Amino acid sequence: MALDSAKKEELLKRLAQGVVEFEDDEVREAAQEWVDTGEDTYDAIFDGLVSGMEEVGKLFSAQEYFVPEMLMAADSLYIGLDILKPQMKPRDSGVKGAVVIGTVQGDVHDIGKNIVKMMFDVAGFNVYDLGRDVPLEDFLKKQLETNSDIVCLSAMMTTTMMGMPKVIEMIRAKNPNCKIMIGGAPITDDIVGKFGADATAKDASNALEEAVKMVVSLREIQKEANAKS
Amino acid sequence: MTEATMTAKERVLRTLKGEKVTPVPCFSGVGNVTTKGLEKLGYRFADLHNDAQKMAEAAMTSWELFGYECVVIPFDLCLEAEALGCVMNPYAETEELLYPTIKEKSKLTTEQLRAAATPELLKKGRIPLVIEAARIVREKVGDQVAIGSYVLGPFTLGGQINELEVILKGSLKKPEEMKEYLDALADVIILVGNHLLQNGIDYISVREMGATSDVLSPRVFKKVIFPALKKVADNMASPNILHICGSVLPVIDMMAECGYSALSIDSKTPMKEAREKTGEKTVILGNFNPFATLNTGDAEGAYNVAAQCVRDGVNGVHPGCDIWPTAKPENLEAMMKAVRETSV
Ligand code: B12
Repeated sequence: MALDSAKKEELLKRLAQGVVEFEDDEVREAAQEWVDTGEDTYDAIFDGLVSGMEEVGKLFSAQEYFVPEMLMAADSLYIGLDILKPQMKPRDSGVKGAVVIGTVQGDVHDIGKNIVKMMFDVAGFNVYDLGRDVPLEDFLKKQLETNSDIVCLSAMMTTTMMGMPKVIEMIRAKNPNCKIMIGGAPITDDIVGKFGADATAKDASNALEEAVKMVVSLREIQKEANAKS
Repeated sequence: MTEATMTAKERVLRTLKGEKVTPVPCFSGVGNVTTKGLEKLGYRFADLHNDAQKMAEAAMTSWELFGYECVVIPFDLCLEAEALGCVMNPYAETEELLYPTIKEKSKLTTEQLRAAATPELLKKGRIPLVIEAARIVREKVGDQVAIGSYVLGPFTLGGQINELEVILKGSLKKPEEMKEYLDALADVIILVGNHLLQNGIDYISVREMGATSDVLSPRVFKKVIFPALKKVADNMASPNILHICGSVLPVIDMMAECGYSALSIDSKTPMKEAREKTGEKTVILGNFNPFATLNTGDAEGAYNVAAQCVRDGVNGVHPGCDIWPTAKPENLEAMMKAVRETSV
């Protein structure tokens, strides 16, 4: 069966809605139907799954959704992603790459980190998740081992956050080209500057919404790169 | 007895009974050891957790140095989890001061928890050590100051011994199963809490910060969390304090309905609105942001923040969560002074 525009619209809607309502079966079926047409799955991922997750982010900010709802939606998204990703045509945009991510030592808050990680998964990055309570040297070790483009550090406490500049210093010394992004509730733009990191998700209090924005901007960069090529 | 001659212990225990005490006491049910206190003793934070003598000495320092009106043991959130087979990391090797965390989760099931909830449990992990520490403190302070301790709430304890993600999703996807699970955890908490209260602890906090309304919807709180928290309140001796940080305004009426001696909230829950929703009778402790007030702020700010808590009508001035050890001594002094000097 080919993918005409009416069918495409229908499947995109079912994918997005399936994520919003965490209907795993719905997402699974819609993703499978798409894959069965043999078409590229790029749109299914970004205009289906991710657009559903963007809606979830809005509901979270509006306090209609809470953390369990967000985690369930993320599970549904992963179900779709597992089916769709193998059939996504590689885009030769420069942004795809590898990311090392983890929550710094002393900190077991990993819900936010896992959501950020999901967004990198969606965007097609190779993600090396070190988990939570990660000894500071391990970030450097993994970066050197994988030659990742980005290292992402998460901390939810004002205290554990103080481990970040140490990691940044270690990485800068060995690999000045590596991008370092930091995030978590106590991180502000000020702190990004102070710690010498490259970026953070803009508004940590707006939790999911911000992480989604990161992907959206990535998507834009991807589009631009595609348009040029 | 006049208020001027009341001991700190009486001030705190009367407050928890719902009596008005003027000025209100300034104390907490959670961690409050400072690096200043540790320096005085020459101890490292990591060395306190497994040594009853050091734990006791360190716990008394905020009372001795600043007149903070309590002695609270232990300093970490791993006590019950350890007794239930989890492994704690005290960060003995790290240079920085870090709060201990659970590094291996035992992942006990509802049935396993039910089987574990026997007096045998009370001999496990560091439970005997905390009781020994309470004895040492009592020997030193007598009845001058109350000794507090704490247990985790059912949901938060569940997140220590199992993957929190599983529990979070379960609360939405399989509420009935999760209620059973939390009910089994409540039995453990009641057992440990009563044991502490029978063995030298004067008041106990139930710390259920995992179930704050920043994380869980009021619907899930009502359906899944409330029954377990109520069970704990119904079966645990008093005085007991229910502590939930983060914004809890949407559920504070349910927190009050559980029937704890007192509620403890942090700066994310505005005191005036909380009071409106719970009424005059509910004892509310709070509600400042400890890190911003005591660690990053200055003494004048700390004075104002503490005084504002009193004016907002708290029954006791209590930091939202743990006082982080690097709190500035002058800020703690200013906080104590403000509470002594402010009345409503
Ligand atoms: C759930 C929770 C816990 C759980 C954690 C379980 C887990 N597996 O994660 C438990 C109960 C175990 C826990 C324990 C403790 N907690 Co806690 N916890 C929270 C809580 C309520 C929610 C955090 C959360 O998951 N939010 C939801 C997610 C989706 O949001 P997020 O984490 O902010 O992540 C988003 C952004 O920040 C950003 N982001 C995150 N990481 C990254 C990384 C990068 C690179 C980027 C770009 C973006 C980014 O994107 C994410 C997704 O949108 C917060 C309060 C709050 N409302 O934030 C307190 C909080 C973080 N905890 C706190 C504290 C103090 C503790 C304890 C010390 C105990 C205590 N006294 O309460 C212990 C310490 C444990 C330890 N050593 O780590 C404090 C920290 C205070 C501070 N400023 O230092 C907070 C703020 C509560 C408070 N008001 O005091 N906690």
